[in-house]
Amino acid sequence: MANTHVTKRAKYKTTIKDPGTPGTLRMTFEKILFVPHNPKSAGKLDVEFRYIKGQKHTKEGSNKPPWLNLTNNQNGIFIFEFENYSDLQECRDFVGKVLAKGGEVSEKPTVAYPDEQLSAAEMELRIKLLQEDSELQKLHKQFVLSGVLTETEFWATRKKLLDREASKKTKQRLGFKSAMISDIKPSTDGRTNKVTFNLTPEVILQIFAEKPAVHRAFLSYVPNKMSERTFWTKYFRAEYLHSTKNSIAAAAEAAEDEELAVFLKQDDILASEARKKIRRVDPTLDMEADEGDDYTHLPDHGILREGSKEMTESQNELYKRSLSQDINRHAAVVLEGRAVDVELEDTKAVAEALAQSKQKSSNKGESDGDTSRERLDRLSRMTEIEDLQGPNTLPLAPLCIKDPRDYFDSQQANALRSSGDALGEIEQIKCGLSTQEVYGSLRESISSIKAMGLKEPIVKPEVAHQVFDALTNSISNTKYHIGKNPQESVLDRLPRKTKEELLHHWTSILELLKHFWASYPITTTYLYVKVNRLKDAMSNIYPQLEEIKGSVPSELRHQVSLLVRPMHQALDAAIQHYEASMQKRSAQSGERPNGYV
Amino acid sequence: MKFQIEDVTVYFPYDYIYPEQYSYMIELKRALDAKGHCLLEMPTGTGKTIALLSLITSYSLSKPQTPIKLIYCTRTVHEMEKTLAELKLLHNYQIKHLGPQARILAIGLSSRKNLCVNPTVLAAENRDSVDAGCRKLTASWVRAMAAENPNVPTCQFFENYERAASAAVVPPGVYTLQDLRVFGKEKGWCPYFLARHMVQFANVVVYSYQYLLDPKVAGIISKEMQKESVVVFDEAHNIDNVCIEALSVSVRRQTLEGATRNLNRISQEIDRFKATDASRLRAEYNRLVEGLALRGNLPITDNWLSNPALPDDILKEAVPGNIRRAEHFLHVLRRLVQYLRGRLDTENVEKENPVSFVASINSHAGIDQKTLKFCYDRLHSLMLTLEITDTDEFLHIQTICDFATLVGTYGRGFSIIIEPFDERMPHIPDPILQLSCHDASLAIKPVFDRFQSVVITSGTLSPIDLYPRLLNFHPVVSRSFTMSLTRDCICPMVLTRGSDQLPVSTKFDMRSDPGVVRNYGKLLLEMVSVVPDGIVCFFVSYSYMDGIINTWNDSGILKEIMQHKLVFIETQDVVETTLALDNYRRACDCGRGAVFFSVARGKVAEGIDFDRHYGRLVIMFGVPFQYTLSKILLARLEYLRDTFQIKEGDFLTFDALRQAAQCVGRVIRSKADYGMMIFADKRYSRHDKRSKLPSWILSHLRDVNLNLSTDMALHIAKEFLRKMAQPYEKIGGSGRKTLLSEEDLEKDGRWRHG
Repeated sequence: MANTHVTKRAKYKTTIKDPGTPGTLRMTFEKILFVPHNPKSAGKLDVEFRYIKGQKHTKEGSNKPPWLNLTNNQNGIFIFEFENYSDLQECRDFVGKVLAKGGEVSEKPTVAYPDEQLSAAEMELRIKLLQEDSELQKLHKQFVLSGVLTETEFWATRKKLLDREASKKTKQRLGFKSAMISDIKPSTDGRTNKVTFNLTPEVILQIFAEKPAVHRAFLSYVPNKMSERTFWTKYFRAEYLHSTKNSIAAAAEAAEDEELAVFLKQDDILASEARKKIRRVDPTLDMEADEGDDYTHLPDHGILREGSKEMTESQNELYKRSLSQDINRHAAVVLEGRAVDVELEDTKAVAEALAQSKQKSSNKGESDGDTSRERLDRLSRMTEIEDLQGPNTLPLAPLCIKDPRDYFDSQQANALRSSGDALGEIEQIKCGLSTQEVYGSLRESISSIKAMGLKEPIVKPEVAHQVFDALTNSISNTKYHIGKNPQESVLDRLPRKTKEELLHHWTSILELLKHFWASYPITTTYLYVKVNRLKDAMSNIYPQLEEIKGSVPSELRHQVSLLVRPMHQALDAAIQHYEASMQKRSAQSGERPNGYV
Repeated sequence: MKFQIEDVTVYFPYDYIYPEQYSYMIELKRALDAKGHCLLEMPTGTGKTIALLSLITSYSLSKPQTPIKLIYCTRTVHEMEKTLAELKLLHNYQIKHLGPQARILAIGLSSRKNLCVNPTVLAAENRDSVDAGCRKLTASWVRAMAAENPNVPTCQFFENYERAASAAVVPPGVYTLQDLRVFGKEKGWCPYFLARHMVQFANVVVYSYQYLLDPKVAGIISKEMQKESVVVFDEAHNIDNVCIEALSVSVRRQTLEGATRNLNRISQEIDRFKATDASRLRAEYNRLVEGLALRGNLPITDNWLSNPALPDDILKEAVPGNIRRAEHFLHVLRRLVQYLRGRLDTENVEKENPVSFVASINSHAGIDQKTLKFCYDRLHSLMLTLEITDTDEFLHIQTICDFATLVGTYGRGFSIIIEPFDERMPHIPDPILQLSCHDASLAIKPVFDRFQSVVITSGTLSPIDLYPRLLNFHPVVSRSFTMSLTRDCICPMVLTRGSDQLPVSTKFDMRSDPGVVRNYGKLLLEMVSVVPDGIVCFFVSYSYMDGIINTWNDSGILKEIMQHKLVFIETQDVVETTLALDNYRRACDCGRGAVFFSVARGKVAEGIDFDRHYGRLVIMFGVPFQYTLSKILLARLEYLRDTFQIKEGDFLTFDALRQAAQCVGRVIRSKADYGMMIFADKRYSRHDKRSKLPSWILSHLRDVNLNLSTDMALHIAKEFLRKMAQPYEKIGGSGRKTLLSEEDLEKDGRWRHG
């Protein structure tokens, strides 16, 4: 790590309103040291980092001065006001690193860890996760800070958590505004006839998306042929001409200025796009096909002047654009959503990004040939009359386990009952097959998957349903057996403190076991050290469990011991395995003269 | 499910059936048994189409010795696709239960534009260019030339189809247009000509109205259909308009100019042929002496739009001598164009009947009635002789000949109206000469005569006794069904006032009143904030819609609406409207919600469904009366009064209300669906208007909902939506069942027989 400490000038405040003591802030991996400039004044501070729980800071651009707010585990706060934001940022990053790597730093590593370069964003994400989930935080504190697990190891088993968080951030993309572009009203200065348009990159992107011809013109004209400013001036000139609805004037102006004409003409790109899109339209509303089939309305056939059909002027048609067209186009663009996901700053960048994304989507549109298939599917879905149909599928209730503990509690309690009385049926199912049969069916299904690929659905709904039933039918049963009140589980009858402790032990044992078993087979010294550490941590749990047992009232002791028993068993198994493998190892290493531990 | 209606086992592809579908089938079967025509009105959203299809196919399955053919006419191509999709569902079901004996062949037929798979031809912009492009590659003389000179391009698909000859058949099954294209591509056969060929053998043919009603098209496509066919006109509430449009022609200055150009070109061609191949023109002359029988043995690709008059009206006689020679015919046409040009140069509106018009042509241009009558066929023959393939260039002269033939054939039921300018734009001279048909029965008469059963059905045929009069036929069954509802899933309301209690209406003197426009805007604004998913608005005309949208845009109402829902608008451009509709559906699908602005009598109102979440509310702004100052409409009203004793006002109201009902009826598809309908005009509260609405709407229009203001309507809408969100029993309450299962029907059957 490049910096092992940070030193900045800052003011230290005990509360928000405190004007603060000026001084020097020095942060190392171990502690935070604040020395006031005035040696006499109070406010000298010397805190160890491991007591610091979290940090907050003011945002740049807000009106607040650059503050860093550290909280310790007793909910005390330390506020530092920096001279500028860059100082704040540096300190903030440093604190972030230290908070996240607390464990590593406090204990001198015996072996070299695979070095981990963490970006600030990842760090923040981890901190955020810890803050949101108190249980996770507890575990983190217990194992990482005490050095049983390293930071990396701890998070390695939670990659999914990190990924999901990361993906969630990018998922939601801002759409276009519902307001039309023509709603951009200019501001006047009130004295002259000059008007000023305020264009933001946001608006420009919208203009480009709705008017591909303007987009194309921008790419080809700016900045070679004209400046961006003239470009937009011309654009709004054209818009003004449209708004006057005087197509003759528009035609006249267009004849004089060919660049202006680009804006005034009908958008030819839109027209060609429309022709492409019409092929993918739902056949149940393809009115263009009707036109192709309509021989009554040959030109000059049928009834013309009937009121419903209006005459259109063919002159100046080129420069006429109706509001309805604009509205349709606008709504289509809003519906399509924003294709570009760049930081909007520069018009040029916006224009190019849009061009790229269009290229991509048009390539994609050409490549997928099964649109007709989709069209047909849609058609058949549209034709079915839904309520004449009998119920065609099994009524499905979407699975929603709000609290997984609910499920595992009941399974736990299942074991609590003397094993054997109610489990008869399940065992029957289990024992119905011999090993060969199981093996055979497994082989069969694998080969069928190989031959045909995965089917949809992968598991037959009936089978899934059966398995699910078998697994869950005891949930309600158990609840019924244990407490008459369905909300009450075994754990609820224990004192609150005991319950929490038990649960905490469960999770921490699970965490340890997870890491423990994942370390086998031991191939590197790193793993060897890790297993040792884990084993020590596990053996520490035994007395704690005993202690819990001892602390509960006698009438509950039996139940607690029943609850504790599986934990014991799991730990025993792990330690047994550890010892066995140690023996093997020492037997091997015995041959070596100076066997390393 | 399958069940018994008397001696017919009906296969129905669903587990349940609505009681009205069941009684619909019973009535339909009676009509089939009686081999007569029938008129059936059943509300939209009760599965008419599937009931019809399943009864008729089951009927012909149960009588294998006398199979009947089903000719199913839809108004639009997308309805055709939908019908075929339903038929596919039914067919699969029948095959599952009956095995291979249930196999039928069902095909959809459309123009080259929709069926062609040749990429070079398809690249053309519009229908006529596609037709011409096809002819350029497939006309008999082009192919003859290509046989000698391999550099002459032909269409590979057509050549393959020809080569396969009688082997080119479509195996049984249900083919949508898309399926036909795919099949054609696979085999390398031209789907268009294949479909044309298969029409004769298919058990079910689905195509658009005009293939039967418009003599130009029907002459080619439908002439070989057997008498033992059932013809169904679905969504037939506008059938009278289709009929009169099929026989109406108008001529404008541009038409005449174009026709003159065409004539010059033809005359050049004649000169060329005289120089190179005079024998050809002589051969034509000889053929014409023998009469027009030539049509029968023309190669399929040389067929062109047929004679605009009805087949029986053209006698099988020889073409009059004075137009047998090509030059003479050309002179006749030039004189006719000259005469029409003179008639267009008028200062006043003129109205004439065909008889006096023909007399005047005779005296001024020296063309007699019989010559006029043969114009179209003579032109056709000439163009074939001259080997003209770019027929799309010759539309103008075709129009003139159409006109001549029609005016020479019919003495009554038509009038000729010449207007020097459009009423609404008197300062722009735009003369137009219109031959307008007033009698809908003329075009449909051959259909009634030729086929044993014709079924006319729609969601709105009220008043049901009017249609037999308009179309001049005698139905053996004429019934109107109501809808049995499980719950009150439709909620019609009449809104007469805005929140400020001022009346709203699109009456001519009120429609541009800013107060009315604002109140309409406020109504929509309130509704978009409470109604989920899709809302559809119908306006009385394009110009009114444009005006009101512009006003809303200026006053900021539109912007506020956009904050709640995306806005899409029907325009006169079909492509744009189709894309707007597609986007509208996607906006409803994804939950964003949208409003669609459309026009009554427009293309969208005619055929697009806004079922389920695509339309939870439909607002009809105003009463969609026809443009009453139109000369054509006045002439038609006069004709109706004189011939059928139908009062003008009655007809106008009937016409407006059937359009309104049609618009609002688009929101319901099944009984699980629900939707609200707001009639926003004070005139709807009057009894004489309201009573013209179909009974299934009237029965849900409660008296308290007859005179609402915006705030009251909003309250009702909220209540209604909340009620509809509750779960309900699909089968219906204890009182009467709204869904019947197989057992229910069995019981019913026993009761009927016992």
